[in-house]
Amino acid sequence: MQRTGIPSLLLVLGLSTRAGAQNINWQVFRDGPASTISVNAGLDYGVAFGVAYGRRVSTRLPIVVAADYSFPAGDKLVDDLKVRSGLQMEVMRAGRFSATVKANGVFRRFENSRALLQNFGSEFAGIAGYYTRRWFVAGEVTFDKAVITHVKHLKAATDLNPGLVTGWYIPTGGNLLTGVQTGVTLGRTDFTFKVGQVVSQDFRAKPLIPFYTQLSYGIRF
Amino acid sequence: MKLPLHLFTAIAATAIGLSACDYGGYEPNDPARLVPRTVDEDASLPSINVNGTKLHAETFGDPQNPILIVLHGGPGADYRYLLNCKEFAPQGYFVVFYDQRGSGLSQRHPKSLYTLKTHEDDLGAVIRYYRRSPAQKVFLLGHSWGGMLATAYVNSNPTVINGLIIGEPGGFVWKDVKDYIKRSRDFSKVSESLNDVTYVDQFFTGRKDQHQILDYKFMLLTEADGASDSPVGNEASLPYWRAGAVVLYALLDLGDELKPDWTTNLAQFRTRVLFVYSQNNRAYGEAHARKVSGAFPNVQLERINDVGHGMLSFPRGFANFFPLALTYLNGLR
Repeated sequence: MQRTGIPSLLLVLGLSTRAGAQNINWQVFRDGPASTISVNAGLDYGVAFGVAYGRRVSTRLPIVVAADYSFPAGDKLVDDLKVRSGLQMEVMRAGRFSATVKANGVFRRFENSRALLQNFGSEFAGIAGYYTRRWFVAGEVTFDKAVITHVKHLKAATDLNPGLVTGWYIPTGGNLLTGVQTGVTLGRTDFTFKVGQVVSQDFRAKPLIPFYTQLSYGIRF
Repeated sequence: MKLPLHLFTAIAATAIGLSACDYGGYEPNDPARLVPRTVDEDASLPSINVNGTKLHAETFGDPQNPILIVLHGGPGADYRYLLNCKEFAPQGYFVVFYDQRGSGLSQRHPKSLYTLKTHEDDLGAVIRYYRRSPAQKVFLLGHSWGGMLATAYVNSNPTVINGLIIGEPGGFVWKDVKDYIKRSRDFSKVSESLNDVTYVDQFFTGRKDQHQILDYKFMLLTEADGASDSPVGNEASLPYWRAGAVVLYALLDLGDELKPDWTTNLAQFRTRVLFVYSQNNRAYGEAHARKVSGAFPNVQLERINDVGHGMLSFPRGFANFFPLALTYLNGLR
């Protein structure tokens, strides 16, 4: 099977992915360069790769506007993908302890020979941890909600079941992610890593890959 | 200062609102939109009531002829992909197809009602339903999990069945089954096939009683078995009406818990068994076929060339299989 060279290249570079894209060291991102861009790879419902951009909004309270794009590995680069956009805000600081919240809008796409799925969802996260100017460690809780999904049944499905209904389905799912993230800052460069588990919104069922990881390399400018 | 805060509040409120509102779209667990209706939801489908359940079932041929019951794989697949076996009807056999309990278009039940024992009991009930007299011979043709079910039934009832055709059962002891499952799912971690299977988990989640959602997700996953990099070597995806997700999870869980051994009484089944395996299924192979088929005291082991695990579904495979099977059956009728 022919595979794209891009995922391999990212792996060779040692870069690695998961939810929320930007893992921010709030001790160093409060001042200095206002933008950050990163590449990442890891496990996000499959082996996935991504790029993310964030910009600190000029304000007394640190707020970052961010967007990211990710895609799973495979020989078709644009059939499956995820785009997120939203805000991350520091809501509490006590010395080196910091707590932030994130809210993202999410668009996802999936396609195989049976179906084309296009989903609009939302993602909320709370992150709290200990931050220095050189490193940080934090815990995170994320609720990833697949709010509304357009299901287009394709030929492989309709040939056998012509009565299937193409349309919008609501609601379609949600998963809760809990984990930890850590990072090291070297000048304007950030290496971050996160890992955690995934459970369905009923707190019982688990996805086929019940955990996530992300290794990220970012530059502030 | 105020603008970003207001912006954040607006985005958060919009996102929360998206999560909470009812948009009037389709409820994914409603019948007949993501997956077709089952026999208890659609009276026009052919069905039989046996052993406390309603099974999707069809027959071909003269009911007085020797019975050939076709058992599909999975667990959780359906008999649509085995319909080539209708060809045995004009050759003098009464061919019976049914979707097993919780599979295909048969009735859905709570997970607790899917056991290895209920599947054996259902098969016994299907035989009794169609058999006109004790003199009418009964043959079983089981593919994959269907071959395991057929063997489990023979192991429990060594004198009921007059002949047995089995195609690539995972195994008759649980370790063999698990080993085969592992090999058959050995995709590259960065392959399109594997990620198509796992990526869907962020679009749909369902509770264990939401059969429509779970079955639909399962249907999306079945495409992987037709991928070019699948170890099972199929030339395309097998045609299914509807998968049964809950019965699959139930029987796999029970297998892990009970570690069944369906070979304990097979020595009593002296009838020759036709055991077939495919040339292109890299996860199976001759060594595994010899190991598994060795549980029978009298076995005819045959390789079906130019096909993968779905050897009965595609014209080339069925053309290679059919003469072998017909010769075997005619020798026992």
